[in-house]
Amino acid sequence: MAHQAHAYHMVDPSPWPLTGAIAALLMTSGLAIWFHFHSTMLMTLGLVLTLLTMYQWWRDIIREGTFQGHHTPPVQKGLRYGMILFITSEVFFFLGFFWAFYHSSLAPTPELGGCWPPTGIIPLDPFEVPLLNTAVLLASGVTVTWAHHSIMEGERKQTIQSLALTILLGFYFTALQAMEYYEAPFTIADGVYGSTFFVATGFHGLHVIIGSTFLAVCLLRQIQYHFTSEHHFGFEAAAWYWHFVDVVWLFLYVSIYWWGS
Amino acid sequence: MAEDIQQKLEQYRTAPFDARFPNQNQTRNCWQNYLDYYRCQKVLDAKGVDTAPELWYKRVYKSLCPLSWIEKWDSQREDGTFPGKL
Repeated sequence: MAHQAHAYHMVDPSPWPLTGAIAALLMTSGLAIWFHFHSTMLMTLGLVLTLLTMYQWWRDIIREGTFQGHHTPPVQKGLRYGMILFITSEVFFFLGFFWAFYHSSLAPTPELGGCWPPTGIIPLDPFEVPLLNTAVLLASGVTVTWAHHSIMEGERKQTIQSLALTILLGFYFTALQAMEYYEAPFTIADGVYGSTFFVATGFHGLHVIIGSTFLAVCLLRQIQYHFTSEHHFGFEAAAWYWHFVDVVWLFLYVSIYWWGS
Repeated sequence: MAEDIQQKLEQYRTAPFDARFPNQNQTRNCWQNYLDYYRCQKVLDAKGVDTAPELWYKRVYKSLCPLSWIEKWDSQREDGTFPGKL
């Protein structure tokens, strides 16, 4: 019987990269079809296929790592590099939107009245709900760190409690933001102010939802005894992502909500 | 001072170099002088003071600004939709 003479993981053939690529194609072309021909079928199909791909691919990774032991230290190191590189790419993604915001707000054009906020725009008060949102996310950063220490110390109950609290805080943020969006006196169509505000905070909100989902998956895994006090990279990746989301919010808050008002 | 401004207006050829706007893009120069003229006019009319100094701003913006911008801003002021603070 042949055994591998190295610590790396030669992954078995898998259909999920192909289904993922097909899903991406269907979603993008579906988007174009929706815009021009008013049909959402292709896009919905793409979305469903994407969700199925994500579920099955990550389920397989969990099986390979947690149940089959393929995630040796060198393999885990590779996964760490991967997550760090991914988060770095997301940093650059947000950097673009901050660039757009500062481009328009540092030198406001005559069309806006030569001032920022532009004439006619009533910005949100940074010391009301946005400040609460800042507190909520900062608190969730504390609870996720508490969860991490609980995992490392083998405290099962505390891990579950602190992780659940983190997720609840994430939901609270999302709910508050949704209410702010509904009640805001300006829309995305209100000139460059509306565009920069809603695109930057909107993508941030999407990342909060993604991060909350990632943490929720970790909670389910924790409940099912997947994590050990030494090996819990899935949780660490989720925690890194969550801290990244928090930091982006801090920049958004200071730049757009506070300085930009 | 009044003779100076009169002399300046008589000898006017085009807008002189304004160190506040040293670069190629002179949009802000046009915009600022347009605002300054109408703000100056508003303040001096209210006080009933001689309005010769404000003509300087008018000459400058008339020299610098594209006619379409002046027309657009004038009609915005009439409609009450002018975005600048006057």
